[in-house]
Amino acid sequence: MEEIELRAQKREIMGKQVKQLRGQGLVPAILYGHRTEPLPLQIEERSLRWVLERVGSHHLITLRVGDDKEPKMTLAREVQLDPITHALLHVDFYEVVMTEKITTEVPLVFIGHSPVAEKREGILVRGLDSVEVECLPTNLIESIEVNLGDLVEIDQAILVGDLTVDADVEILIDKEEVVAQILPLRVEEVVEEVVPSEVEIIPREREEAEGREEEPPEEVEEE
Amino acid sequence: MLMPKRVKYRKAHRGRRKGKASRGNQINFGEYGLQALESSWVTSRQIEAARRAVVRYVRRGGKLWIRVFPDKPVTKKPAETRMGSGKGSVDHWVAVVKPGRILLEIAGVREESAREAMRLASHKLPMKTQFIAKADSLFGSR
Repeated sequence: MEEIELRAQKREIMGKQVKQLRGQGLVPAILYGHRTEPLPLQIEERSLRWVLERVGSHHLITLRVGDDKEPKMTLAREVQLDPITHALLHVDFYEVVMTEKITTEVPLVFIGHSPVAEKREGILVRGLDSVEVECLPTNLIESIEVNLGDLVEIDQAILVGDLTVDADVEILIDKEEVVAQILPLRVEEVVEEVVPSEVEIIPREREEAEGREEEPPEEVEEE
Repeated sequence: MLMPKRVKYRKAHRGRRKGKASRGNQINFGEYGLQALESSWVTSRQIEAARRAVVRYVRRGGKLWIRVFPDKPVTKKPAETRMGSGKGSVDHWVAVVKPGRILLEIAGVREESAREAMRLASHKLPMKTQFIAKADSLFGSR
Protein backbone atom coordinates (compact mmCIF):
# COMPACT_ATOMS: atom_id res chain seq x y z
CA MET A 1 0.00 0.00 0.00
CA GLU A 2 1.28 3.42 -0.99
CA GLU A 3 2.24 5.74 1.87
CA ILE A 4 0.28 8.97 2.01
CA GLU A 5 1.58 11.78 4.20
CA LEU A 6 -0.36 14.72 5.55
CA ARG A 7 0.84 17.67 7.63
CA ALA A 8 -1.25 19.16 10.42
CA GLN A 9 -0.88 21.79 13.15
CA LYS A 10 -2.20 21.77 16.66
CA ARG A 11 -5.38 23.84 16.96
CA GLU A 12 -5.96 26.47 19.64
CA ILE A 13 -9.28 27.77 18.31
CA MET A 14 -12.27 25.76 19.52
CA GLY A 15 -16.05 25.80 19.27
CA LYS A 16 -17.91 28.14 16.96
CA GLN A 17 -14.77 30.21 16.33
CA VAL A 18 -13.48 27.47 13.99
CA LYS A 19 -15.50 29.30 11.34
CA GLN A 20 -12.57 31.75 11.18
CA LEU A 21 -10.23 28.88 10.32
CA ARG A 22 -12.41 27.80 7.42
CA GLY A 23 -12.25 31.35 6.10
CA GLN A 24 -8.45 31.09 6.08
CA GLY A 25 -8.47 27.87 4.04
CA LEU A 26 -7.93 25.59 7.03
CA VAL A 27 -10.11 22.69 8.08
CA PRO A 28 -10.63 21.83 11.77
CA ALA A 29 -9.90 18.22 12.59
CA ILE A 30 -9.38 15.99 15.60
CA LEU A 31 -7.09 13.06 16.27
CA TYR A 32 -8.09 10.34 18.69
CA GLY A 33 -7.57 6.64 19.15
CA HIS A 34 -7.68 3.69 21.49
CA ARG A 35 -4.52 4.77 23.33
CA THR A 36 -4.44 8.42 22.22
CA GLU A 37 -5.70 11.49 24.01
CA PRO A 38 -7.93 13.61 21.73
CA LEU A 39 -5.86 16.29 19.97
CA PRO A 40 -7.56 19.15 18.05
CA LEU A 41 -5.84 19.88 14.73
CA GLN A 42 -6.05 22.22 11.78
CA ILE A 43 -5.10 21.18 8.27
CA GLU A 44 -4.70 23.05 5.00
CA GLU A 45 -7.85 22.39 2.97
CA ARG A 46 -6.20 21.83 -0.41
CA SER A 47 -3.81 19.16 0.79
CA LEU A 48 -6.50 17.49 2.90
CA ARG A 49 -8.95 17.35 0.00
CA TRP A 50 -6.25 15.98 -2.29
CA VAL A 51 -5.48 13.21 0.20
CA LEU A 52 -9.12 12.33 0.89
CA GLU A 53 -10.05 12.26 -2.80
CA ARG A 54 -7.15 9.93 -3.41
CA VAL A 55 -7.45 7.49 -0.53
CA GLY A 56 -10.79 8.06 1.19
CA SER A 57 -11.40 6.52 4.57
CA HIS A 58 -9.97 3.04 3.94
CA HIS A 59 -6.26 3.83 3.55
CA LEU A 60 -3.70 4.56 6.25
CA ILE A 61 -2.63 8.20 6.31
CA THR A 62 0.69 9.17 7.91
CA LEU A 63 -0.12 12.27 9.91
CA ARG A 64 2.70 14.60 10.97
CA VAL A 65 1.54 16.99 13.67
CA GLY A 66 3.57 20.22 13.99
CA ASP A 67 7.24 19.48 14.62
CA ASP A 68 6.65 16.04 16.12
CA LYS A 69 9.23 13.59 14.82
CA GLU A 70 7.05 10.58 15.41
CA PRO A 71 4.41 10.30 12.63
CA LYS A 72 0.98 8.91 13.48
CA MET A 73 -0.72 6.19 11.43
CA THR A 74 -4.34 7.21 11.07
CA LEU A 75 -7.59 6.60 9.22
CA ALA A 76 -9.95 9.42 8.21
CA ARG A 77 -12.87 8.01 10.14
CA GLU A 78 -15.54 10.67 9.69
CA VAL A 79 -15.55 13.44 7.12
CA GLN A 80 -18.18 16.17 7.49
CA LEU A 81 -19.09 17.94 4.27
CA ASP A 82 -21.47 20.78 3.50
CA PRO A 83 -24.39 19.03 1.77
CA ILE A 84 -24.76 21.72 -0.89
CA THR A 85 -21.28 23.10 -1.58
CA HIS A 86 -19.45 19.88 -0.58
CA ALA A 87 -16.92 22.00 1.32
CA LEU A 88 -14.93 20.19 3.99
CA LEU A 89 -16.21 21.12 7.45
CA HIS A 90 -14.42 18.77 9.84
CA VAL A 91 -12.46 15.51 9.78
CA ASP A 92 -11.97 12.88 12.48
CA PHE A 93 -8.64 11.01 12.36
CA TYR A 94 -8.44 7.73 14.21
CA GLU A 95 -4.95 6.68 15.28
CA VAL A 96 -4.57 2.96 14.77
CA VAL A 97 -2.52 0.58 16.87
CA MET A 98 -0.69 -1.61 14.36
CA THR A 99 -1.24 -4.75 16.46
CA GLU A 100 -4.98 -4.23 17.00
CA LYS A 101 -7.73 -5.09 14.54
CA ILE A 102 -9.68 -2.19 13.06
CA THR A 103 -13.00 -1.91 11.30
CA THR A 104 -13.30 0.26 8.23
CA GLU A 105 -15.29 0.64 5.02
CA VAL A 106 -13.65 -0.72 1.86
CA PRO A 107 -15.06 0.43 -1.50
CA LEU A 108 -16.38 -2.01 -4.07
CA VAL A 109 -15.00 -1.61 -7.57
CA PHE A 110 -17.39 -2.77 -10.27
CA ILE A 111 -15.62 -4.25 -13.29
CA GLY A 112 -17.02 -5.59 -16.54
CA HIS A 113 -20.50 -5.15 -17.95
CA SER A 114 -23.59 -7.25 -17.49
CA PRO A 115 -24.74 -8.50 -20.93
CA VAL A 116 -28.39 -8.23 -19.87
CA ALA A 117 -28.03 -4.57 -18.86
CA GLU A 118 -26.01 -3.82 -22.00
CA LYS A 119 -28.82 -5.15 -24.20
CA ARG A 120 -31.28 -3.10 -22.12
CA GLU A 121 -33.24 -6.21 -21.19
CA GLY A 122 -32.89 -5.45 -17.47
CA ILE A 123 -31.77 -2.70 -15.11
CA LEU A 124 -28.55 -3.01 -13.16
CA VAL A 125 -29.03 -1.73 -9.62
CA ARG A 126 -26.14 -1.51 -7.20
CA GLY A 127 -27.10 -2.12 -3.61
CA LEU A 128 -23.79 -1.35 -1.95
CA ASP A 129 -20.77 0.80 -2.72
CA SER A 130 -18.64 -0.28 0.17
CA VAL A 131 -18.53 -3.01 2.81
CA GLU A 132 -17.41 -2.91 6.41
CA VAL A 133 -14.39 -5.11 7.08
CA GLU A 134 -12.30 -6.03 10.09
CA CYS A 135 -8.57 -6.68 9.82
CA LEU A 136 -5.17 -5.64 11.08
CA PRO A 137 -3.98 -2.26 9.73
CA THR A 138 -1.18 -4.01 7.85
CA ASN A 139 -3.68 -6.23 6.00
CA LEU A 140 -5.93 -3.38 4.92
CA ILE A 141 -7.06 -3.71 1.30
CA GLU A 142 -7.59 -0.89 -1.23
CA SER A 143 -10.81 -2.23 -2.72
CA ILE A 144 -12.86 -5.33 -3.47
CA GLU A 145 -13.58 -6.17 -7.09
CA VAL A 146 -17.06 -7.15 -8.23
CA ASN A 147 -17.40 -8.66 -11.69
CA LEU A 148 -20.66 -7.50 -13.23
CA GLY A 149 -20.11 -9.87 -16.18
CA ASP A 150 -21.39 -12.67 -13.93
CA LEU A 151 -24.88 -11.20 -14.06
CA VAL A 152 -26.37 -12.91 -17.12
CA GLU A 153 -30.00 -13.38 -16.12
CA ILE A 154 -32.82 -11.16 -14.92
CA ASP A 155 -33.28 -11.21 -11.12
CA GLN A 156 -29.77 -12.62 -10.71
CA ALA A 157 -27.84 -10.98 -7.89
CA ILE A 158 -24.34 -10.81 -6.46
CA LEU A 159 -24.48 -11.11 -2.68
CA VAL A 160 -21.94 -10.07 -0.05
CA GLY A 161 -21.23 -13.76 0.49
CA ASP A 162 -20.05 -14.03 -3.16
CA LEU A 163 -17.28 -11.45 -2.67
CA THR A 164 -13.75 -12.79 -2.50
CA VAL A 165 -11.34 -11.26 0.02
CA ASP A 166 -8.09 -12.33 1.66
CA ALA A 167 -8.32 -14.75 4.56
CA ASP A 168 -6.96 -12.06 6.93
CA VAL A 169 -9.86 -9.75 6.14
CA GLU A 170 -13.32 -10.41 7.56
CA ILE A 171 -16.46 -8.87 6.07
CA LEU A 172 -18.74 -7.74 8.88
CA ILE A 173 -22.02 -7.09 7.09
CA ASP A 174 -24.76 -9.65 6.41
CA LYS A 175 -23.71 -12.22 3.78
CA GLU A 176 -27.20 -12.15 2.23
CA GLU A 177 -27.11 -8.44 1.43
CA VAL A 178 -27.33 -7.61 -2.28
CA VAL A 179 -24.29 -5.96 -3.90
CA ALA A 180 -25.68 -5.74 -7.43
CA GLN A 181 -28.78 -7.09 -9.07
CA ILE A 182 -30.48 -7.18 -12.46
CA LEU A 183 -34.08 -6.04 -12.13
CA PRO A 184 -36.69 -6.61 -14.84
CA LEU A 185 -37.74 -3.65 -16.95
CA ARG A 186 -41.00 -2.08 -15.90
CA VAL A 187 -43.46 -0.55 -18.28
CA GLU A 188 -44.80 2.80 -17.10
CA GLU A 189 -47.85 2.20 -14.97
CA VAL A 190 -51.01 3.99 -16.00
CA VAL A 191 -51.86 5.88 -12.86
CA GLU A 192 -55.38 7.11 -12.58
CA GLU A 193 -55.95 10.56 -11.20
CA VAL A 194 -56.96 10.01 -7.62
CA VAL A 195 -59.35 12.54 -6.21
CA PRO A 196 -58.05 13.40 -2.72
CA SER A 197 -60.40 11.59 -0.41
CA GLU A 198 -60.88 12.02 3.30
CA VAL A 199 -57.80 10.97 5.24
CA GLU A 200 -58.43 8.72 8.18
CA ILE A 201 -57.60 10.30 11.53
CA ILE A 202 -55.91 8.17 14.14
CA PRO A 203 -58.19 8.37 17.19
CA ARG A 204 -56.89 9.78 20.47
CA GLU A 205 -56.05 7.38 23.28
CA ARG A 206 -59.23 8.03 25.27
CA GLU A 207 -61.53 7.62 22.30
CA GLU A 208 -59.55 4.58 21.30
CA ALA A 209 -60.08 3.04 24.72
CA GLU A 210 -63.82 3.67 24.51
CA GLY A 211 -64.04 2.23 21.05
CA ARG A 212 -62.11 -0.87 22.07
CA GLU A 213 -65.18 -2.44 23.65
CA GLU A 214 -67.11 -2.29 20.40
CA GLU A 215 -64.46 -3.16 17.86
CA PRO A 216 -60.70 -3.82 18.04
CA PRO A 217 -58.70 -0.74 16.87
CA GLU A 218 -56.33 -1.00 13.94
CA GLU A 219 -52.62 -0.89 14.58
CA VAL A 220 -51.16 2.61 14.47
CA GLU A 221 -48.77 2.84 11.56
CA GLU A 222 -45.45 4.49 12.12
CA GLU A 223 -44.84 7.40 9.81
CA MET B 1 -50.85 11.27 -6.13
CA LEU B 2 -48.95 10.85 -2.91
CA MET B 3 -50.73 11.51 0.39
CA PRO B 4 -50.77 9.84 3.80
CA LYS B 5 -53.24 7.03 4.46
CA ARG B 6 -53.79 7.95 8.11
CA VAL B 7 -52.80 11.01 10.10
CA LYS B 8 -52.80 11.86 13.79
CA TYR B 9 -54.11 15.41 13.32
CA ARG B 10 -56.28 16.65 10.45
CA LYS B 11 -54.74 20.13 10.15
CA ALA B 12 -51.23 21.42 10.83
CA HIS B 13 -49.52 24.73 11.53
CA ARG B 14 -47.47 26.27 8.73
CA GLY B 15 -44.16 25.95 10.59
CA ARG B 16 -40.84 27.49 9.55
CA ARG B 17 -38.20 26.44 7.06
CA LYS B 18 -34.93 27.59 8.59
CA GLY B 19 -31.56 26.02 7.91
CA LYS B 20 -30.40 23.23 5.65
CA ALA B 21 -31.58 19.64 5.35
CA SER B 22 -29.71 17.58 7.91
CA ARG B 23 -31.25 14.30 6.76
CA GLY B 24 -31.88 12.96 3.28
CA ASN B 25 -29.04 15.07 1.87
CA GLN B 26 -26.96 12.19 0.44
CA ILE B 27 -27.60 9.88 -2.51
CA ASN B 28 -28.42 6.57 -0.84
CA PHE B 29 -30.22 4.43 -3.40
CA GLY B 30 -29.42 5.43 -6.99
CA GLU B 31 -26.41 6.73 -8.89
CA TYR B 32 -27.65 10.22 -9.73
CA GLY B 33 -29.93 12.60 -7.91
CA LEU B 34 -31.68 15.95 -7.93
CA GLN B 35 -30.85 18.15 -4.95
CA ALA B 36 -32.87 21.15 -3.76
CA LEU B 37 -30.93 24.40 -3.39
CA GLU B 38 -33.74 26.42 -1.82
CA SER B 39 -36.40 25.73 0.75
CA SER B 40 -39.96 25.25 -0.43
CA TRP B 41 -43.20 23.34 -0.03
CA VAL B 42 -43.52 20.76 -2.79
CA THR B 43 -47.08 19.69 -3.48
CA SER B 44 -48.08 16.14 -4.32
CA ARG B 45 -49.05 17.34 -7.81
CA GLN B 46 -45.57 18.74 -8.41
CA ILE B 47 -43.95 15.50 -7.22
CA GLU B 48 -46.21 13.49 -9.52
CA ALA B 49 -45.44 15.80 -12.47
CA ALA B 50 -41.70 15.46 -11.84
CA ARG B 51 -42.02 11.67 -11.58
CA ARG B 52 -43.94 11.51 -14.86
CA ALA B 53 -41.38 13.72 -16.59
CA VAL B 54 -38.57 11.36 -15.57
CA VAL B 55 -40.45 8.14 -16.35
CA ARG B 56 -41.53 9.40 -19.80
CA TYR B 57 -37.99 10.40 -20.67
CA VAL B 58 -36.18 7.26 -19.55
CA ARG B 59 -39.09 5.08 -20.79
CA ARG B 60 -38.27 1.46 -19.98
CA GLY B 61 -34.80 1.82 -18.49
CA GLY B 62 -33.79 3.01 -15.08
CA LYS B 63 -35.14 2.85 -11.58
CA LEU B 64 -36.46 5.93 -9.84
CA TRP B 65 -36.70 6.75 -6.14
CA ILE B 66 -38.78 9.64 -4.80
CA ARG B 67 -37.08 10.80 -1.61
CA VAL B 68 -39.74 13.23 -0.38
CA PHE B 69 -43.26 12.52 0.80
CA PRO B 70 -46.06 15.09 1.11
CA ASP B 71 -47.22 14.55 4.69
CA LYS B 72 -48.18 18.10 5.61
CA PRO B 73 -51.81 19.18 5.05
CA VAL B 74 -52.44 22.65 3.63
CA THR B 75 -55.86 24.15 4.26
CA LYS B 76 -57.80 26.66 2.21
CA LYS B 77 -60.99 28.59 2.76
CA PRO B 78 -63.61 28.44 -0.01
CA ALA B 79 -63.75 31.34 -2.49
CA GLU B 80 -65.76 34.44 -1.54
CA THR B 81 -65.98 33.49 2.11
CA ARG B 82 -65.82 36.06 4.88
CA MET B 83 -62.93 35.85 7.30
CA GLY B 84 -63.43 33.96 10.53
CA SER B 85 -65.39 30.80 11.26
CA GLY B 86 -62.25 28.82 11.88
CA LYS B 87 -59.57 27.24 9.76
CA GLY B 88 -60.48 26.11 6.25
CA SER B 89 -60.61 22.54 5.04
CA VAL B 90 -57.61 20.53 3.79
CA ASP B 91 -56.93 21.45 0.17
CA HIS B 92 -53.72 19.60 -0.68
CA TRP B 93 -50.63 17.95 0.76
CA VAL B 94 -47.05 19.21 0.66
CA ALA B 95 -43.56 17.99 1.50
CA VAL B 96 -41.41 20.50 3.38
CA VAL B 97 -38.07 20.74 1.58
CA LYS B 98 -34.96 22.51 2.85
CA PRO B 99 -31.76 23.25 0.87
CA GLY B 100 -29.63 20.15 0.41
CA ARG B 101 -32.51 17.68 0.34
CA ILE B 102 -32.32 14.98 -2.33
CA LEU B 103 -35.67 14.97 -4.13
CA LEU B 104 -35.25 12.23 -6.72
CA GLU B 105 -32.72 9.49 -7.34
CA ILE B 106 -32.21 7.40 -10.45
CA ALA B 107 -30.12 4.34 -11.33
CA GLY B 108 -29.58 2.10 -14.33
CA VAL B 109 -29.26 4.87 -16.94
CA ARG B 110 -26.33 6.73 -18.49
CA GLU B 111 -25.28 10.04 -16.98
CA GLU B 112 -26.50 12.07 -19.98
CA SER B 113 -29.96 10.48 -19.76
CA ALA B 114 -30.10 10.97 -16.00
CA ARG B 115 -29.03 14.61 -16.39
CA GLU B 116 -31.70 15.31 -19.02
CA ALA B 117 -34.40 13.46 -17.02
CA MET B 118 -33.55 15.50 -13.93
CA ARG B 119 -33.55 18.71 -15.95
CA LEU B 120 -37.07 17.95 -17.15
CA ALA B 121 -38.15 17.08 -13.60
CA SER B 122 -36.62 20.27 -12.20
CA HIS B 123 -38.96 22.34 -14.39
CA LYS B 124 -41.89 20.80 -12.53
CA LEU B 125 -40.56 21.76 -9.11
CA PRO B 126 -40.89 25.10 -7.31
CA MET B 127 -37.24 25.62 -6.30
CA LYS B 128 -33.73 25.83 -7.72
CA THR B 129 -32.12 22.42 -7.95
CA GLN B 130 -28.82 20.85 -8.92
CA PHE B 131 -27.94 17.53 -10.50
CA ILE B 132 -25.52 15.45 -8.48
CA ALA B 133 -23.79 12.14 -9.07
CA LYS B 134 -22.81 9.74 -6.34
CA ALA B 135 -19.41 9.21 -7.94
CA ASP B 136 -18.62 12.95 -7.65
CA SER B 137 -18.93 13.03 -3.87
CA LEU B 138 -15.68 12.86 -1.94
CA PHE B 139 -16.07 9.22 -0.98
CA GLY B 140 -18.74 8.05 -3.38
CA SER B 141 -20.72 6.08 -0.83
CA ARG B 142 -20.90 8.81 1.78
